[in-house]
Amino acid sequence: MIRLLLLVSLLAAGAVGVRAQHLLDWSAEEIRAVGQHGPWPPPPVQDPSNKVSGTPAGIALGEHLFNEPRLSGDGRMSCATCHQAGREWSDGLAKARGAVELDRRTPSLWNIGYLHWFGWDGAGDSLWAQSIRPLLDPREMNGGPTRAGELLRSDAAFACGYERAFGSRPGSDDERLLVDTAKALAAFQATLVSPRTGFDDFRDALLAGDRESASRYPLAAQRGLKLFIGEASCNLCHLGPRFTSGEFGDIGIPFFVRPGEVDPGRHGGLGRLAASPFNLLGKYNDDASGSNARRTRHVQRQHTNFGEFRVPGLRQVGRGGPYMHNGSLATLEDVIRHYSEVSPDRLHSDGIPLVRPLGLTVEQSADLVAFLRSLDAEALARPSPAPLCP
Amino acid sequence: MRLAAALLGVLLATPAWADDCPLDLGRGTGWVVFSDHYLMAFRSDPLRIEVGEPFALLVNVCTRRSGAAELLAVDANMPEHRHGMNYRATIVAKGNGRFRAEGLLFHMPGRWEITFDVRAGSESERLTHDIILK
Ligand SMILES: [Cu+2]
Repeated sequence: MIRLLLLVSLLAAGAVGVRAQHLLDWSAEEIRAVGQHGPWPPPPVQDPSNKVSGTPAGIALGEHLFNEPRLSGDGRMSCATCHQAGREWSDGLAKARGAVELDRRTPSLWNIGYLHWFGWDGAGDSLWAQSIRPLLDPREMNGGPTRAGELLRSDAAFACGYERAFGSRPGSDDERLLVDTAKALAAFQATLVSPRTGFDDFRDALLAGDRESASRYPLAAQRGLKLFIGEASCNLCHLGPRFTSGEFGDIGIPFFVRPGEVDPGRHGGLGRLAASPFNLLGKYNDDASGSNARRTRHVQRQHTNFGEFRVPGLRQVGRGGPYMHNGSLATLEDVIRHYSEVSPDRLHSDGIPLVRPLGLTVEQSADLVAFLRSLDAEALARPSPAPLCP
Repeated sequence: MRLAAALLGVLLATPAWADDCPLDLGRGTGWVVFSDHYLMAFRSDPLRIEVGEPFALLVNVCTRRSGAAELLAVDANMPEHRHGMNYRATIVAKGNGRFRAEGLLFHMPGRWEITFDVRAGSESERLTHDIILK
């Protein structure tokens, strides 16, 4: 009997031992760091600068406009041409293709509503201001300043959808209608929240002390996550639930776009921001308190902004790509190799030691990739939008 | 992401020699920084500084001889990373040595050194204080 008990307890100990192998040791400090990358999903976006943000009528109008090629100069291109639902709201291309090929990659729209700066160079300080740019840009949709207004006035369904969202029939002020079009587009885009992932299940289990659930997270991803929040310090910039500070960095990607021509990145973006009639300091900001314009009011343009680009969020990152603002790295493995081998000479700023060659082993690199892939999940297929005003 | 050491609960008992320049920030919490010539108390608004979120600093600055002093500039940098903020604070004087510095934003966790340029008469000085954001 005693032997039997001994055997049973040994078996139990063995089972526990096996299970314990699937969960690395996580220090209190590490658990705290992991916890900062959640919870997920976050609460819905409410943008005080946009009066139709979060409103069903604004979102519905925005989704129809998003898919509307008549907003473009040649009537053939919509927002959805480059921001495709089936391609993580990007296009899978290294460089975006509008009326011509552009110098930067089409950014994914996942979780875009939670940002404070928009575009790779942060030239937009609201999602709606940023949405105006491709509508007008001759290299992109080339719609011209009056096209959105003409469409809202002339198309019965859009006119009705506009009235439901904004409370009045579309008027004659084309600039106002362009802004309202962008605000509806923004209301829709802000609903694009990426799905929960294996990482989120692990994070929640780890915080709850649920070792059994936590141990279902692959060991390679656990090791990669430890690197991410530890030795590699990726979370200095890729922080929070969306894995981005939303700010800008220079990570040593060459910024020549053609011989003799550079992409100035954030430095150029801040110049365009200041010059834009649509920034949050202007008359189209719906937030009377003006408190949401604090970043815009206080941001400073510095020479170190040359060659800086927005730190992208990492959710769904493995399903996107190519990578970097210019699509110059094809795979996640290439990205990890870049950080492992980046030459400090390639950095344009005065030796800020944040980006340094990590010198990762083959196994460490694979672990980081495994972790990054745990930030991916299959999104539910999107049903086609219901008619605006049936 | 929150301020590591919750705000130091420093009770700002006003020293007798600072009668004309009270260091009380109104909530009994904040940091005190001093040098041979200056005394300064400050707290953030909101009280908890979050990575990536704008905040303001309420600052009271006095000379050791109990007069109100002037706050000229507030800035911050991460010494280990050799970079500053991406934002520039503006200062509003509230009278009697009280100031509000608006528009600061720490975009990264780690150690931030806040610098305060203060002046009384022709004599100016830089006071610093470290904050660790986690
Ligand atoms: Cu830093």
